[in-house]
Amino acid sequence: MIGAMGYEHLLVDVEAPIATVTLNRPRVLNALSPDLIRELTTALSELDADDSVRAVVLTGGPKVFAAGADISDMADRGAVDQLRRDQTGRWAPLAGFSKPLVAAVNGYALGGGCEVVLMCDVVIAGETARLGQPEINLGIIPGAGGTQRWPRTAGKYVAMEAMLTGQPIPAQRAYELGLVNKVVPAEVTVEIAKRVARQIAEKPPLAARMAKEAVLKAFESPLSEGLASERKSFYFLFATEDQKEGMHAFLEKRKGVFKGR
Amino acid sequence: MATEVELHVKVEIEGGIGWIRFNRPEKMNAIGALTRQQLGDAIKQAERDDAVRVVVLTGSGRAFCSGADVTEMVQGAAMRTPEDVGNVLRNEYMPMLMRLRTMPKPVIAAMNGPAVGIGASYALACDIRIATPEAYLLEAFVNIGLAPDGGVSWLLPRLAGTGVAYEMFFTGKPLQAADAHRLGVFNRLVPAERLEEEVRDLANHLASQPRQAMAGAKRAVNHAITSSYEDAMEFESYLQEAQAASPEFAEGVQNFLARRAAKK
Repeated sequence: MIGAMGYEHLLVDVEAPIATVTLNRPRVLNALSPDLIRELTTALSELDADDSVRAVVLTGGPKVFAAGADISDMADRGAVDQLRRDQTGRWAPLAGFSKPLVAAVNGYALGGGCEVVLMCDVVIAGETARLGQPEINLGIIPGAGGTQRWPRTAGKYVAMEAMLTGQPIPAQRAYELGLVNKVVPAEVTVEIAKRVARQIAEKPPLAARMAKEAVLKAFESPLSEGLASERKSFYFLFATEDQKEGMHAFLEKRKGVFKGR
Repeated sequence: MATEVELHVKVEIEGGIGWIRFNRPEKMNAIGALTRQQLGDAIKQAERDDAVRVVVLTGSGRAFCSGADVTEMVQGAAMRTPEDVGNVLRNEYMPMLMRLRTMPKPVIAAMNGPAVGIGASYALACDIRIATPEAYLLEAFVNIGLAPDGGVSWLLPRLAGTGVAYEMFFTGKPLQAADAHRLGVFNRLVPAERLEEEVRDLANHLASQPRQAMAGAKRAVNHAITSSYEDAMEFESYLQEAQAASPEFAEGVQNFLARRAAKK
């Protein structure tokens, strides 16, 4: 699909109702260059707008997820220069992606690569997966949400250990810490992630969207606000055709067919 | 070759079998700094080399391995402080022992004699143990005022049960070959003069088995050992999918059907 979609650093494969986006710079371990980030956020914006797609798998393929940013590109930049490029701010379309995102992680997910994983909604890890924030070794800190999403995901002490030692966490420990949903043999990581995506894609898409928004809201707001917002979404869904279909299908003991309306 | 380095570990590769041999018989194959380095290299090579389908770990002379070279521990430069002792365990022994347990090919301990201290750790980290009646396992740590290391606190209770493990750790007395065999810690006992032959036969057989299927067994067991029954079965199911898609399975089924047809 490389030519079809016109991406140089990505493979985008739409098999409705899911799509798979593969970071594809294997020679540099999928280093997250500005070009790659631009392509990825563009691809995600397109997939967000594509009604045939209801869930997306994001992966780096069989060997590596993404081993961080392009250091050669950053080494001699100044602060103002970095601020102007706002490389980290460019991740907003990923964090704000409205459909469920399933990460399929084999090998290293380091630095920005790990932060991308933390912006996904479900994480399937191969046995070979290693998640870490080694930025401290370079005299910097994570800049795409790592310091904020780690503690919200795995707690303060795990986050501190990751940030302060720079030591990556292997798959099985990541599973025990709740950083990933499942550990699977590396050969099938992407396939299992696709299955999870297909399973999610069968659900009523508006409910999936509201559920995702509501859970993410938990990290952003006081409980009372989160509860109020949840309640509004709950009522809102009673205005959808999918809710009628879902409940009637349940009562009639058949499988619902959802249209996202 | 005036400056030839002493070979503390000998490696021979023949017919798909990588023989890694502790080679300091005059010191009962005690492990010193040079041994660790050579052993680490040998194990790493054996894992990487596709020509090696089965690994055998054994000793020359009377012992399998008598453990850490205590004279070196006391006098050597490598372990001057207690922290050095810990560092050697973490940085040198741990990676090697982990590699033995997790490399995607069978590892057999051919136990020609006693395995003591860290030597026992090597024997126990192997997948299968074939031993002579003269072989024994000895957790000698307590005899010099140390606690167990090299993974035996994890391995021995699993292989022999907690009671046997504690008795060994507390008394510093050996688990003799017959007892180890009865407990299933040693898979088989064979007379010394037939050890190599028996091990070679088994290794040859394993070298002819589907390698990815055997690697899958190791991955499944190593995953299962640290997870729940349910997680383990789910992991197996995914491994089996990968295996069911492999040429090994297609070939295996064909061979099976051909054998059955031939019997009729």
